[in-house]
Amino acid sequence: MKRFLLYAILTVGALVFLYPFVWMLAATLKPELEIAGFNPLSSHFTLENYRFVLQKLPILRGFGNSLLVSIAVTTSVIVFGSMVGYALSRLHFRGRDLVFNLALATMMIPAQLTLIPLYTMMVKFGWVNSYLALIVPTMMSSYAALLFRQFFQSVPQSLIEAARLDGCSDWRILFTIVFPLSKPAIITVAILTFMGIWNDVLWPLMVIRDERLMTMPLMVTLFAVGGQAEARLGAQLAAATLLALPVIGAYLFLQRHLIESIATSGMKN
Amino acid sequence: MNLRLIILLLVVLLVSCTSQRSTDPGQPGSGITLTYWSATNAQELEFANKVSAEWNAQHSEVQIKVEPVPSGQSSEEVILAAIASGTTPDIYANVFPGAMQDLLDARGVVQLDDYPDFMDVMRGRMTQELLNQYRSSDGHFYQVPWKSNPIMVLYNSRMLREAGISSLPTTYSEFLSAASRVTRDRDGDGQIDQWMLTIDYYPIWYKRLFDYLPLYLATSNGQPLLEGRKVMFDNQSSVAIFRFLHECFARGYAPRQTFQGDVILDGRVAAKFVGPNSIGHLERYRSADFEYDYGPILRPDEATGQPVSYADPKSIVIFKTCQHPREAWQFIKFIISRQNDLKLLELSSQLPIRAGLLEDQTFADYFKRNPKLVKFAAQVMTARSIESVAELKEIFDAIAQEVEASIVFDLKSPEQAVHDAARRSQQILDVE
Amino acid sequence: MQPEEANKFSTLSKAAAILRIPLHGVAKVLRSRDGLHDQKDRVGYLMVLPYILHITIFLGYPLAFAFVLIFHRWNIYTPMKWVGLGNIKLLLTDPLVWKALINTLYFLLIHIPLQLVVALGLAQLLNQKIRGRAFFRASYFMPVVVSGVVVTMLWQQLYASETGLINVLLQRVGLPGIGWLTDRRYAMPAIAIMATWKNVGLYVVLFLVGLQGISRDLYEAAELDGASAWQNFRLITVPMLNPTIMLVLVLSTIGGFSLFIEPYVMTGGGPANSTLSGILYLYKQAFFFSKMGYATTVGFFWAMMIFVVVLLQRRFVETEAV
Repeated sequence: MKRFLLYAILTVGALVFLYPFVWMLAATLKPELEIAGFNPLSSHFTLENYRFVLQKLPILRGFGNSLLVSIAVTTSVIVFGSMVGYALSRLHFRGRDLVFNLALATMMIPAQLTLIPLYTMMVKFGWVNSYLALIVPTMMSSYAALLFRQFFQSVPQSLIEAARLDGCSDWRILFTIVFPLSKPAIITVAILTFMGIWNDVLWPLMVIRDERLMTMPLMVTLFAVGGQAEARLGAQLAAATLLALPVIGAYLFLQRHLIESIATSGMKN
Repeated sequence: MNLRLIILLLVVLLVSCTSQRSTDPGQPGSGITLTYWSATNAQELEFANKVSAEWNAQHSEVQIKVEPVPSGQSSEEVILAAIASGTTPDIYANVFPGAMQDLLDARGVVQLDDYPDFMDVMRGRMTQELLNQYRSSDGHFYQVPWKSNPIMVLYNSRMLREAGISSLPTTYSEFLSAASRVTRDRDGDGQIDQWMLTIDYYPIWYKRLFDYLPLYLATSNGQPLLEGRKVMFDNQSSVAIFRFLHECFARGYAPRQTFQGDVILDGRVAAKFVGPNSIGHLERYRSADFEYDYGPILRPDEATGQPVSYADPKSIVIFKTCQHPREAWQFIKFIISRQNDLKLLELSSQLPIRAGLLEDQTFADYFKRNPKLVKFAAQVMTARSIESVAELKEIFDAIAQEVEASIVFDLKSPEQAVHDAARRSQQILDVE
Repeated sequence: MQPEEANKFSTLSKAAAILRIPLHGVAKVLRSRDGLHDQKDRVGYLMVLPYILHITIFLGYPLAFAFVLIFHRWNIYTPMKWVGLGNIKLLLTDPLVWKALINTLYFLLIHIPLQLVVALGLAQLLNQKIRGRAFFRASYFMPVVVSGVVVTMLWQQLYASETGLINVLLQRVGLPGIGWLTDRRYAMPAIAIMATWKNVGLYVVLFLVGLQGISRDLYEAAELDGASAWQNFRLITVPMLNPTIMLVLVLSTIGGFSLFIEPYVMTGGGPANSTLSGILYLYKQAFFFSKMGYATTVGFFWAMMIFVVVLLQRRFVETEAV
């Protein structure tokens, strides 16, 4: 009996977290009038909402923009973060401790404080309405640097010594020896960075006005908030569904990795 | 060696990113081309195109190029951004006088009373008293007052008639009494489905330019909201307005819910605060049996004389980037000439700020064909402009917050709301 | 770092930073003497150079500039105007800033307990010997990865007064519908519930890890002493989970103070400013009124508030590591 109750509660929980998505998908496939209905199925299956969204929004371009920006930032964060992590863990140079403490200190700077000054800098640089504003300010991360440092500290010194004896430069050591050994760290940083950049709306909202450069979440947000959707619920939900689909798709593939990454970084903290 | 390469690359990257923009020196050859930005709605664009076509035919050496103002969060922001990047046009004909201080602070506009004929031309169009409202904080003129959109009250005449109301309300009490007769439950389902007044009460600052501001001008008989940097609206006039609007919501004369579509055209609501630019929309979308008329902006019972309303005006400016401001001024004089004022009326039903519109033969035929505009035309000389301070939007935001809090949500008394709005506005002004 | 709401990346990192106030770091700087061959130093310098450059330009300079902006009035396009303490005075008397603060605290008051109870509850259940744990864990976690915009738009429909699923369900069991987003008493709770739904999966995972780290011996010893399940929970589980609970607290607090997209999309800050959040107010000041100086002042105040609240939480909730 107890086990039945256990499974019952867990299953109800799963329903609570999953059913709203099902409802949303179903709502987008119904004509406008039937959206309110509880029943996810409808006799009048229609793709009209998606047609409307695709006609009004360059959403595929938005998807492309999000992909471009997220990949660019993630790659940059990994490359430069690992460089700093390697330097801090494996190299000795004057000021190394200073850099380490600087990295720690930068994580204490609240985003709310630097948001507006950073925006005014974007205006002054002329980067508003450009990919530069979306990519450059976030292309390095102290958190990634410190995570890599922590991970690299566990790489056996003997491997590195052997490579040095062979005449490898530290650059080669980092990218050809240490990197392949650091898959968990790289995956963690990659997933967290990518997710963070992909889902961010506030910064793109501030720096991008041109529809051709908008990221997908920004496009959908403005579609919901502005008048473009002409108050058509189905269309708004269809835009939201299109936004959710790639993420949910990737999630279904990667969820094991993702959850384990979060768990381990949570544990480290 | 490695290091120097990296530094070089970084420098190249930074330089290429912070690009300079060059201002267009104009067309090669002997002619001058002036860029003229117009508002983006179809009627004004048509006006701009026709006027410039006529000018271009007569002036081969000074050609006018019309462009719609670029889109952005707001046209003021677009203009300020253009000033900052040096991409302003020569002439812009949709300036909100309330935003003039910003343009001045940005040092973006040309001083117009430098031109010897400026004052004469202006005095030929309007009274000195009206002209003074468009004077900027340093005592000079940087704008040409162009068009006026005096706010009155639109009524669905049929709904009033059916409620047994024979004359248009002119005071608060007349309006409230009419409201009690118009507001009712038509289909007997226990819920009101016909209201007297529609107000968009969301606390958006410019919405209050169309209800609070004209009501204040009417109630206080034209008193300014600010005197310099001192708040002057913490008075009985404001309280009377807040009390009136509160009554409308408390008694259910104004609906709280929002509807799809136009509630006036649908016959759901009988009255709304609008200017004459509503006529075009109404004529285009009305059903055959829709009758409407305009009543004066509301005032307290004791008020005497003609009601003073808000002009919702727009002005014309010349930007400092203009290489040929004298020629631009000549063109502006052409825009505001009698013939083109008539064109403005014909094409967009908007009123030029010109004295004696109803007495002038040029316009007689137009007003005969468009009688609804006569009441508005009569107010062009008396409807007032708005103060121009940099903090204007925030002051109206403070007022809008108090309107929502006290009138719709009943969170404080009208007196308290007015006091809070005034206090907040003064605090905002006192920052400098 | 990326400035925005509920970015797990930055919030995790900030949580890490806050939970390890690096006073030892300062001492280290004063003591550091890593003197070695300049040749070897070169590679190290080169490797950290881009990073140092980046944080100087995109973190250091904005930080310094923020402290300049606070004392000026500026709309970017006109010259900056010195206002001294004017912005600060305006902030201290600004009813909307205090309203945003109260709203946020109200949000946290509902969101945090709800989150802790649900996450810990589900984690406890999942910690048993059951089949399909991975499936359950993955379902609870799904809303975490989905964009906040999607969740907001979805719940906006669920909360709709007439047609929303939630009111329909309530009415089916005989309860009256609630004006979730139109009643100023319920709008913030509505957002708090939605935020819980979105994030609880993350904390289920973190609690699971924490639970699995509690040694069996403790429970066995307690059983020998005749302890009940509830006593086990109260005296062993909860204290042992204190680090995770602190993490949930800090992350949720930072998330609550970073609310933006939810009120922006769902309510615009209304009704009657009951869902106005600090960041939304900051955004409005900067982009509706072009008050860069005042917006930065609000940002500074907001950052201070986060610091104070987290400090209080550490003081009253955190226990020494066992």
